[in-house]
Order: sequence, then structure tokens, then C-alpha cells
Amino acid sequence: MIRIEAEPWAEMVAHARKTYPNECCGAMLGSADDGTKLVRVAMPLENAFSGAQAARYELRPEDLLAADKAARERKMDLIGIYHSHPDCDAYFSTTDLKNSCPWYSFVVLSIQKGEFHHANSWLPNFEQTEAAKEELIY
Amino acid sequence: MAKVLIPTPLRQFTAKQDAVTAPGGTVGEVLKALTTEYPDLRKQIFTEEGKLRSFVNVYLNDEDIRYLSKDATAAKDADTISLVPSIAGGSVAAPPETAELTKDEILRYSRHLIIPEVGMEGQQKLKAAKVLLVGAGGLGAPLGLYLAAAGIGKIGIVDFDVVDFTNLQRQVIHSTNDVGRKKLDSAAEKMQGINPHLKIVKHETALSSENALEIFKDYDLIVDGTDNFPTRYLVNDACVLLGKPNVYGSIFRFEGQSTVFAYEGGPCYRCLYPEPPPPGLVPSCAEGGVLGILPGTIGLIQATETVKLILGIGEPLVGRLLLYDALGMRFRELKLRKNPECPVCGEHRTITKLIDYHQFCGVPSPSAAAPAEETKVNEGEIEVTEVKAMLDRGDNFVLIDVREPHEYKICNIPAAKLIPLGEVPRRLHELDKNADIVIHCKSGMRSAKACGILKQAGFQHVRNMKGGILAWSDKVDPSVPKY
Repeated sequence: MIRIEAEPWAEMVAHARKTYPNECCGAMLGSADDGTKLVRVAMPLENAFSGAQAARYELRPEDLLAADKAARERKMDLIGIYHSHPDCDAYFSTTDLKNSCPWYSFVVLSIQKGEFHHANSWLPNFEQTEAAKEELIY
Repeated sequence: MAKVLIPTPLRQFTAKQDAVTAPGGTVGEVLKALTTEYPDLRKQIFTEEGKLRSFVNVYLNDEDIRYLSKDATAAKDADTISLVPSIAGGSVAAPPETAELTKDEILRYSRHLIIPEVGMEGQQKLKAAKVLLVGAGGLGAPLGLYLAAAGIGKIGIVDFDVVDFTNLQRQVIHSTNDVGRKKLDSAAEKMQGINPHLKIVKHETALSSENALEIFKDYDLIVDGTDNFPTRYLVNDACVLLGKPNVYGSIFRFEGQSTVFAYEGGPCYRCLYPEPPPPGLVPSCAEGGVLGILPGTIGLIQATETVKLILGIGEPLVGRLLLYDALGMRFRELKLRKNPECPVCGEHRTITKLIDYHQFCGVPSPSAAAPAEETKVNEGEIEVTEVKAMLDRGDNFVLIDVREPHEYKICNIPAAKLIPLGEVPRRLHELDKNADIVIHCKSGMRSAKACGILKQAGFQHVRNMKGGILAWSDKVDPSVPKY
């Protein structure tokens, strides 16, 4: 289960709306204990995909490294990645899957016509062949 | 003892520590020590073959080790190593996966679309497919042209050669005007001309153990159009290690072979040929010649298998070696079995990473051999200009040509006596052991062997004409045709 506190959640939604019709992406920091993850800080990151960003995103490893460092400094952990799907369901696409990593929770926000619609969290497997839906509370 | 920062989800494998120090002078050694101490961590970071998982980037302080010295990057006590996943995604699947056909494409592929076994679904599979051609030569030519026309979405080509006049007899993707151009550019131009929808990726490099996995990983299947054993073993092993099919073809004079190796549980090239032939035993096309049409036939068998594998239709040429004899105009089939003891695909595999294939095949690596041969005259060698001067002066010596009679007919040095290499041992009696002897062939290889035979037999004054009749044409008599 992953729970996102109100403040980071508001920031993630605002980030996804602001970036619409393009995809946004960022890191989620917080804590993970006994199977329950708590997101306390959202950290918007730049979408580094070099083509059209309406349906693609890419995170720079350097930015992820910085997010991890920021988490450590705040005595938190990097526990997940979020990104938006403009005018599209919050499913975990093949592209998402193929470029994912089994270490983190992947929260997808569906933004329809510029407004938040729904969200899901996903846990990809090792082989990057499927992702399990994780209970998401926000 | 460098420090390794452990990402949160992996701390369950490191006794909850967020940073661990591990011994080692390089990043590779530190990671090895780390995963030895925490074995459960190993699976998270490395594949079974011991390669870093595709999503793992390793940083030394603030720098990606890929841009430093990779595994060999020095790691000091004060250094921090981080494991950073590469992450991307998007709401739609990447273009190759969707591969919708445009109106233009529907018209273009009409004759495919109306075959029920292909149809829209099949054509979309072709468009989504990523195929790598190793070599843009004899086999690569028909492959490139037809695969481009068939609607393959992405074709990569590995080649670093330039078009030569001797290529034109069979490499139909190149034109006379292309002589001197990079084969990559010439081939890409023709393929793009046939199909502007095709995405072509040019890999201008010699395929090597260092780059093969990196190049291959982006493709669905690999088509081997090479003409030498080191590259053939390299392509095979890389395909087996990555689990990608290797669509194989080879040609010699009037005969060709084709099969699909490394396909889902099928045999690989090493199952068929565990060891390479002794160096020099099997001549290449440049040495032995090839009927110009032959690579067309074999290349198109490879192209057919490629398309079938992508479409998932028919019976793939797996576990069967197809033999083609152009003179008898017959096809035969040999059954191939997976060798359970195969060193690369068997149960007790000993080859888990790419090796030095030139050494394995007993041939000098191209980078090591070339310079010495070009620049200086070795002992026992003589320059063509010196031979010409000896002839002009009327010196008393014997010039021997050890090529074949059909080669002699192409061009010759009139003063030379023809004794084909194979006949040299039993015709030694025709020669005087004390005479001054100069031997030549086409480029100097066979004549070197002949010199060896004569010296062994006690001949005192034997020299090899450096560069053979090709050098003669270049430096002495340009009217002598080169072949």
C-alpha cells in the first residue's frame, strides 16, 4: 500500500495540470515500513525526453541521483516515481513497463482535458513484463 | 573501501543499511565484493550472465561510469558509488509497439494486406520490427533491399567498408557511381529510396566483443551477412547471450547455406561447429571467389526467414541447415540438433560473456596485423620495383608465379614460370637449389607459403615478391588488370 500525504499530492496534481498537454514526472520521498509506504514530499523533475512530450517522459539519472541525495538529507527515502498521462487512463503502458525498474512504486496520474481524473500506483516486475497494481491512498 | 549508497528498496538485502563500504580498487571490484557479501543483492543489480541489469546505471560520485572507464573506473576510499535506475515511460506505447499503418502505407503494402496470413496485423508486426543486418555486402545487399521494401520498421546496418569495384558483381545494393563511398551510405540511400517510411540506423564500426551486445540489444533479430569466422562466432555468441535469433547465411563459389540459430531452444552455430576450421583452410569469397548471383539466393532465404519469424507464420528454418548447390540446382536439408554440451547454449555452459574471437579462430586481429605488413620490407621479401629492375638488367634469376592457371589467364608477368602452389612440392626438381628465385602470387600470401616450402627443401636464395601481382600493377605496370 502507498499513501500520499495531502501536501505532496496537491503538488503532484498541480505539476501534472501545469504540464498538460505534456507529461510531467517527478520523485516521491518519504518512508517505507512493513509494506506501507508514506509519501511526504513530492519532488517535480524535468521531463528530459528529447521528442514530443505529450505521450512520453524520461528522467535524467542525475536528477534521480539528486532526488535520492535530497531524500537522505531529509532523513527520508526515495520510494517512488510519478508521471502523468494526459487525456489517457492511468494504466501502466508498455513504454512505462519497458523503461521501469522493480525497485520503486510508479504512480500514474490521468489528466483529462487539463483536469485531474484518477490515479493508480504500479509495481513493475523484474523482467519488465508486467506490473501489479498497488493500493493507492491520497 | 569505497562507499556504496543503497537505494531504499534494496536495503532489505543489506541488513537495512543505507550505505555499505566494500573493498576493491575499481568500481567493478567494489560491486563484486558488495554482492559477494550480500548475495541477495546480486540478482537486483546483475543478470545471470553477470552483466549490469539494463535499468541500472552506476555513478561514481556525480559521474556515470559509462563515461569514465566503466567497470574499470578506479574507486578510492573517499568515493561514493550510487546505483541509479534509468526510468522513462509514456501514456502510449512507444511507436514501434503501436505501429498503426497510414493511408499511404496501406496502399504500399496492399499485396501483403490481402494475404490472410499477413493482413493488417502482420504488416503492423513488420512495422514494429527492428532488424539488424551485420554487413552490407553480398548477403546484406538483397536483404537490405527486400526487407526495406517489405515494410520492416527499423533496420540497423553494421559496416565500416567502402564500395569497391570488385563488389559490384554481386552487391546489387551498390552502383558503379558508389565506388569509394561508404557501403553504409550507399545502402541506406537505396533502401530509403525504396521505402521512405523505413528508419535506418547506421553502425559505422567493426563489430567486436566490446560493442556487439550494446548494438544488438536494440534489435529483435540479427541477420548474419558476414564472411569470416571470428565475426560469425561473435554474432552467434552475442545472439545466444541476448536470446535473439541469428538468421545465418554463408556462401562459397556455387554453394550456400542458411539456417536460423539461437531461436527459442534451437541449436546455435557452436552446436554445429564447436571449433573454427584451421586458419586458411576455408577460403573467403575474396580468396576463393563466388558466383555473383549466389548471395542473392542465400540472402533472400535469410530475408524470407526474417519476415516469417516476425510474422510468426510458417515453419521456421530452425534445427535444419539448408544447403544450396547452384550448379546441380538442388536444395538439401541437414537436421541440426542442439548440443547439450554446447559451451555457449548448453546446460553446462562455459562461455557466459564475449571472448576474443580472433584469438579463438587463430587469425590475427585486424588492428594488430595491418601496419607491419604495409610499411616495411621483411626479410626474405623483395619489392616489385626491384624485381622489375632485375628483369630490365637481365639478371640471372627465376621468377615463379604460384597462382592457379585460371588466374594466370587474367593477368601475368610474362617472364614468370607458372607453378600453382599445390604443385610446388612435387615440381621442386624443376628448380635449381642454388638459383636466385623470386616467387609471386596475387597479393603475397600464397607466395610466402611457397617460399617456406622451398627453404624447407634446401633452396638457398628464395624471396617473396611483396604485394604480389597487385603491387606490380600499382607500382610497375598499370596496364596489368587487378582482380
